[in-house]
Amino acid sequence: MTSATTLDRSAGAAGSGPVLDARGVHKSFGHLEVLQGIDLQIAKGETVVILGPSGSGKSTFLRCINLLETLDAGRIQVGGRDVGYEVRKGRLHELAPAELARRRADIGMVFQHFNLFPHLNVLQNIIEGPVGVRGQNRAEAIRTAQSLLERVGLSGREKSYPRQLSGGQQQRVAIARALAMQPQLMLFDEPTSALDPELVGEVLATMRDLANEGLTMAVVTHEISFAREAADRVVFMDKGVIVEQGPPAQVLDNPQHERTKAFLARFL
Amino acid sequence: MTVTATTGSQQAVTQDPPELDVKDASRRPHPWRWIGAGVVLVLLAMLVNMLITNENFEWDVVFAWLTAESIMKGLGVTLLLTVIAMVIGIVLGVLLAVCRLSANPLLSSTANAYIWFFRGTPTLVQLIFFYNLSALMPEISLGIPFGPEFVVFETNTLITPMLAAILGLGLNEGAYMAEIVRGGLLSVDHGQREAGAAIGMTDRRIMRRIVLPQAMRFIVPPTGNQVISMVKATALVSVIALADLLYTVQAIYNRTFETIPMLIVACVWYLIITSILYVVQSRIENHYSRGDRHQRTSFWDFLRIRPKGRPTPPAVTEGVTA
Ligand SMILES: Nc1ncnc2c1ncn2[C@@H]1O[C@H](COP(=O)(O)OP(=O)(O)OP(=O)(O)O)[C@@H](O)[C@H]1O
Ligand SMILES: [Mg+2]
Repeated sequence: MTSATTLDRSAGAAGSGPVLDARGVHKSFGHLEVLQGIDLQIAKGETVVILGPSGSGKSTFLRCINLLETLDAGRIQVGGRDVGYEVRKGRLHELAPAELARRRADIGMVFQHFNLFPHLNVLQNIIEGPVGVRGQNRAEAIRTAQSLLERVGLSGREKSYPRQLSGGQQQRVAIARALAMQPQLMLFDEPTSALDPELVGEVLATMRDLANEGLTMAVVTHEISFAREAADRVVFMDKGVIVEQGPPAQVLDNPQHERTKAFLARFL
Repeated sequence: MTVTATTGSQQAVTQDPPELDVKDASRRPHPWRWIGAGVVLVLLAMLVNMLITNENFEWDVVFAWLTAESIMKGLGVTLLLTVIAMVIGIVLGVLLAVCRLSANPLLSSTANAYIWFFRGTPTLVQLIFFYNLSALMPEISLGIPFGPEFVVFETNTLITPMLAAILGLGLNEGAYMAEIVRGGLLSVDHGQREAGAAIGMTDRRIMRRIVLPQAMRFIVPPTGNQVISMVKATALVSVIALADLLYTVQAIYNRTFETIPMLIVACVWYLIITSILYVVQSRIENHYSRGDRHQRTSFWDFLRIRPKGRPTPPAVTEGVTA
């Protein structure tokens, strides 16, 4: 597999600290406080699955990590750097948009509804970031894209347009598009919940491979089986706080909190 | 002979075609379509007859002038004006639409005010206004606001009829194009911007590479209409003595009193231009709407005549799931 060439970019940047370091993250929409102080660290190579009922703030938290939403209070660092800020004279200063975009490029995101670019074919979708944003050599980017497509099981579909692919195939292309930026951290926001049941498996299999290859991932999902098999740690969120976390066996089979028990009971 | 699946589990291997087949069904008669087509034909014949036999059309005069040099010059001015005004209109329209959708309240309200003013006043009035700008500002100067002036222009010499026409039509067009572009931009799902941002694209790059290309499908058809309207709107500039097609024709019939044939000359050219534009527009539209084209009914299908041996066209299905 080609994982070694495409994944090991994070090694230097992250140093020895955690890839994700979120502390005291608060976020409100109007009067609704969606995140009420989230603390979460993710080590390099770790796969963390975030569970929680609808409206508990899981998506909002993921979106705060790559600053699709700005946070109201707290601090989020990825690879030891603030995503949207820089430290000058002991204070945080907002970054210029171009610099923010550059830092976002180090964080991959996979969306519930794929959000592939429908006017670009599969190959163009994947190389848009490497070539257009990073200024990588086109031929090299195409080679990387082809090996990524092979990895997600879609060799030979370079010329297809997104609407010619099934949902599961589109989501795997979206994963390849995110991986093409060689991110330090991958965020998945319910990557299988827009899929027909028979297509869920292929996407989860791809994600399981990535987890085994040592990609650092934060995955919001309702697929308990994925959490059990692929997660190093399971985090349970409710009403804007982390209620409990730990190894899958502990959180899923022996939950300590009432809210976790009530939530998991629905999946039995 | 006919193998039918009698047992539920056993599948028939081959099946003969059904005894009765819809392809041999007799078509329902549509007498009213025939009567309607007949009426239209009679009216058409009457129209052609009148065009030929009524001598007041003076077709010989029409053909004598159709490609005269002065007419060609006027046509050139009309075309040039259409192109320049549309280019200004489209560029301005994109800028105004982006401003209007921007989060910056200063930008969006400025764009709003612009659109409000230029859509809310007649184009003709705007044209005359720019033509008479010197009455309002005798001099136009470049310099520091409220400070020293570097260059001073005499407004009367600066604003030629051509410039007044370009300003009047182009600035006005910008307001209409802004609304068209805005509609197109709003039609693109917000997730597209987020996906672009997530791979590190800047807002400008997202607009250029992701949003605008997708918005084109919704922008092109109404823009085609605008171009065709613009060809005809340029006729307004004859009021400010710019020698476009209509003004040239008017100048001629004021001398020769061949009013009707000269107006026909103008109409023939306007029709030729708009017809060409119509074809171009259809081509561009087809390009941007690949995959969801609608089957058109041909005239013969409308009359329900299906020539023997001609199969019914298969429905266009593109974008099939592989
Ligand atoms: N842009 C927004 N404006 C206002 N309210 C929002 C916005 N985005 C999210 N919310 C609200 O914040 C709360 C948390 O939303 P969030 O999408 O983070 O939940 P979630 O845990 O991802 O839920 P789900 O499992 O349904 O996706 C919800 O009540 C939602 O209505
Ligand atoms: Mg969500």
